[in-house]
Amino acid sequence: MLGPKVFNHSICLSCLISRAPVPLPFRYVKSCLRITGGTELSRAFTVSKIYASKNNVDQKDIVPKEYFDKVGNKNKQNYLDMVRIFEGRGAHRRGHVEFIYSALRHMEEFGVHKDLEAYKRLIDVFPKGKFIPTNIFQAEFMHYPKQQQCAIDLLEQMEENGVIPDAETEDILLNIFGKSGHPLRKYWRMMYWMPKFKNLNPWPLPNPVPNDSLELAKLALQQMSSVDLQSSVTEYKTSDVKDSVDDTWVVSVQSPTQMELLEAHPEETPIFVEGAFRVWLRNTSVNYFILRADPTPLSNYDNIASDPDDVGELKTPFEEPVNSAVRLAPSVHEQEEGTVLAMCATGTSSRDSLLSWIRLLQEANPRLSVIPVLFSLRSPFGQVIPIHHPEENQQSSAKVSDK
Amino acid sequence: MKLCSYVGCRTPWDLFSWIRNENMANTLTSSVIKTLFINPCCFQNPYIIATRNLSAASLLISKSIPCTISNPNSTFKHRNKKSFHTSTCSKTFWERDPKGGYVSKEKRSTIKTIREGLGELKNEIQLWKEEVKEKFEFDPLLLCRPGETDIFWQFGTEASNSKWVTTADSDHNEGFSTCELVTSPAGKGLFRGNLCTAVPKDGKVKKAGYCNMRCTRARKSFKRDSFYDWRMYTHLVIKVRGDGRPYFLNISTMGYFDVFWNDVYHYALYTRGGPYWQVSKVPFSKFFLSSKGRIQDKQAPVNLDRVSHFGISLGDKVEGPFQLEIDYIGLEFDPTHTEEFAYEMYQLPKFIAAN
Repeated sequence: MLGPKVFNHSICLSCLISRAPVPLPFRYVKSCLRITGGTELSRAFTVSKIYASKNNVDQKDIVPKEYFDKVGNKNKQNYLDMVRIFEGRGAHRRGHVEFIYSALRHMEEFGVHKDLEAYKRLIDVFPKGKFIPTNIFQAEFMHYPKQQQCAIDLLEQMEENGVIPDAETEDILLNIFGKSGHPLRKYWRMMYWMPKFKNLNPWPLPNPVPNDSLELAKLALQQMSSVDLQSSVTEYKTSDVKDSVDDTWVVSVQSPTQMELLEAHPEETPIFVEGAFRVWLRNTSVNYFILRADPTPLSNYDNIASDPDDVGELKTPFEEPVNSAVRLAPSVHEQEEGTVLAMCATGTSSRDSLLSWIRLLQEANPRLSVIPVLFSLRSPFGQVIPIHHPEENQQSSAKVSDK
Repeated sequence: MKLCSYVGCRTPWDLFSWIRNENMANTLTSSVIKTLFINPCCFQNPYIIATRNLSAASLLISKSIPCTISNPNSTFKHRNKKSFHTSTCSKTFWERDPKGGYVSKEKRSTIKTIREGLGELKNEIQLWKEEVKEKFEFDPLLLCRPGETDIFWQFGTEASNSKWVTTADSDHNEGFSTCELVTSPAGKGLFRGNLCTAVPKDGKVKKAGYCNMRCTRARKSFKRDSFYDWRMYTHLVIKVRGDGRPYFLNISTMGYFDVFWNDVYHYALYTRGGPYWQVSKVPFSKFFLSSKGRIQDKQAPVNLDRVSHFGISLGDKVEGPFQLEIDYIGLEFDPTHTEEFAYEMYQLPKFIAAN
């Protein structure tokens, strides 16, 4: 059996890996092959069980498949411990490439896929010094390609997860692959582009976004109402409303302009509660509802179809009556499809909680008590997400009246 | 009869050791061994050893050397394609077609092609007529007034939607995302669908999850390629109502040579979400160059007279439905915007980056 003998044999190591600084005479290589028989030699470099022949029972996987699976408590501490155990298994760190690939696959289970420290620990597994090219040919032809590719894949996974490396990562990589290594190039590219893209979003959100649905709803409504800087987000409890069935929260947003629009709304025209619509905050979505009025009709002034080239009907400006139909520019809430009067998100998204929302809005908007409010399942603003209630008919529209 | 067989070993040493062990040197004459050659594929691949000599190959196969065997009737190129990849592996430097191999495999009869071609002739002649008229009139847009948006694409009608092509990874069985461009209840364009990041288990695809819409190629009559000339403008203006997801704006500037076929300039379009329309003004100077989804080391401003396509894509790795309502895409000239290119370049040591 070959065992450690081959690895101590300088000729074999040199001829097989071809990393010797001085090329060895061919007869040494030949004799070396004859001594070791070739088969075991090749197997020593074969790490996967698939390719090993069946009669070789001594062959062991360097990284067993269940290495990460068998950990009971999957957290960051245990993950780092696994890396430490691997490093402690021997000075040669045999099979570290396989180990790193395996570790990368299991990052999300351990919840460390967005953790810079874990990535740095993994890069640190590579042995230092050995992979640094010593001449320009080695540098150009990707010295130790498997190891370099592994490091690039690791950096790629960092990029995918939005983890920006730090200066220490560069030091570690420099010590492993030298300044001409491809992982270093990848690192420099990442450090050029990632900070440039990090804060591009004009509506910044915490990373990660909070788990609490109430906090998420507040963030979503703040983001959506950023069109009007005067809007204020208010949190209510449905338990404050008499006769409410659900006990949940309601987050509502309304601006003074919207209050004015609601105040000026005619009594006989109904307004609509529409939804739910979806808004995404990073990887989570929030359902929201809107209080909408039909679009404001354009004034007479806008309706005059005037053709500037038509000279058949010339007017003198002095004889014209003063046009009283001139009106203020529409506010941002007066969209083409309708006027948005308020927005909300509730804990249950149920019809009862929306009813409570309307009641709660009445405190600041007394006119809501006289305007008919319809709950609609269709909206000109887009397709609504159906909210299923076992007790309610889908087509029914409940009328709220507090007369 | 030429027959090809392929035997894949993990290393050439596997083969040599096997020959040595089995005393095969006598059976396999040196001339036979010479017909074996090793394909220098990428490193994850098993070495592929091909032989034009079927008897030699079958001999290799019959002795159970650790190898993988492919269909003896397949061609070498085919074998290469089917081999297992853990990453993209470029076999050659040249590109076969601008679609990167994603061409339609549909076989059409000649008669059908002729019939369809004749059908299209009417529209093409109409286009040509317009072109000739345009040439005689010679009334180009010489001035664009600052602060005014020239609408380039207006959405909302069937005709306007037909100028766009939507693609997703499910089109070529490389994922499960779906998307479509329809008319919204408000009478505008609605790009909607479902993004799915699940990777199909075919051993080739590493990542999945994109949806994309792209306008048809700028062209002249009789299917001649042309380009949009946007040199007069500084900003791209897009009126959308999104869902809070980030989208990508893509400007393709397809060049003549195959290395420039995939040149696309990107910039992110963040959406606010909610019921309000949003008008985003994106300066062309912010667009950065990438090819096949990889940001290039050597950056340059967009060649605005060589714009072949414009597209919007989504690939934010978040599973779920999305919708982006688009009113119009326009162009604007802003004389106060003096920035030529937003990304500074550095002189790097030789051979570090592509410079």
